[in-house]
Amino acid sequence: MLENIALIKEVHELLPTQEAQAHAIESLRLIDLEHIGPSRLNQCTSLEVFYVMVIRAMMAKEEVIFIVTPFFLIKKLARIEPVLEKLVLLNKEQKNIIILDNLTNQSHYKGDLCNIIK
Amino acid sequence: MILKFFEHIGQKTTDFFLSIYEAMQFTALCLIHMVQPKSYNPAMRMVLIKQIYFTAVGIIPLFIMMAFLFGSVIIGVVIALATQYNLQSQIGSIIVTFALNEFSPFFTALLISLRSGTAVNTEIAVMNVNKELNTLKEYKIDLIDYLFLPRILSGIVSVTSLSILFAIIMLGSGYIFTLFYMGMDLHTYQTLLANAVGVDNLLILLLKSVAFGFVTMLIPIYSGLKTANAYTAIPISVLNGMVKLFIAIFFIEVLSLVLQSL
Repeated sequence: MLENIALIKEVHELLPTQEAQAHAIESLRLIDLEHIGPSRLNQCTSLEVFYVMVIRAMMAKEEVIFIVTPFFLIKKLARIEPVLEKLVLLNKEQKNIIILDNLTNQSHYKGDLCNIIK
Repeated sequence: MILKFFEHIGQKTTDFFLSIYEAMQFTALCLIHMVQPKSYNPAMRMVLIKQIYFTAVGIIPLFIMMAFLFGSVIIGVVIALATQYNLQSQIGSIIVTFALNEFSPFFTALLISLRSGTAVNTEIAVMNVNKELNTLKEYKIDLIDYLFLPRILSGIVSVTSLSILFAIIMLGSGYIFTLFYMGMDLHTYQTLLANAVGVDNLLILLLKSVAFGFVTMLIPIYSGLKTANAYTAIPISVLNGMVKLFIAIFFIEVLSLVLQSL
């Protein structure tokens, strides 16, 4: 997972591998997931993979991040609130995070940290 | 009926030339990236080191054993035949030409194709089917720089270095057989080889190894990229890739023989 996250900074910012991996560990540590650094995709849960995808997106230069159907990406996700809290922790650069989901999942987002736009 | 037959031939011919054109275009693109310094970013260098390790270092014990077994037998047969036909005076150049120019690069290319060519073809095909290549593109990561170039370079480095190793082992085995068949001492054998080896032999070894290394990775990569969007298409992709690769290896071998005979 570490290499997976570090790749973005290695390619776009030409950071040396060790430095890019240090950034990756730092991001994982923010959400208490530094232990998944050496793991491979099949060793991680869907939630951990989701966070890795988000961190990777945070490291890209784009200002807007689209998350499409998180309830589909993360298996057995009951509440979106803890996920949104971690997204806030990771979003140090104040990027716009837009979650696209089906109307049938609308109730999951009510009263949470996001604005719902239909 | 006849019209359909000609249409079919025309379609097949067009498809064939189109696929050749696309393959050439891909080759040119890879070569352009190879000479651009910006292609060599830290991620690419890391992949390159790993690829060289997997392709060249991981195979060394098996390779040495194979080189010793096959190299010894082949060089033994060549020396026995040379002795049988009273070609003892030419034995140095026969051994050098056979070991350096012909057998070492060819055998190494075959071995690397079987081991790493198939692996790379499958890897790229799986990444293609799983849409991992699309994800990399979404993150604006150049596929040629990050995925293809390290593999192609590792192919070139691995085939070249292993060909040299194979040639050394084969020449070493040659001594055992010359000792056995001709009662030749080590010093005479060394002098014989030193007099027989020319710059052209080393140049041919290097050029052939580079060409073999290049196609050993390029063709499986290209084949993997052309995989249809289904898991069942992966074995077909590997099969097609390997057939094309072996044709390319034989083509290079024949081409080199033709060029050497001019």
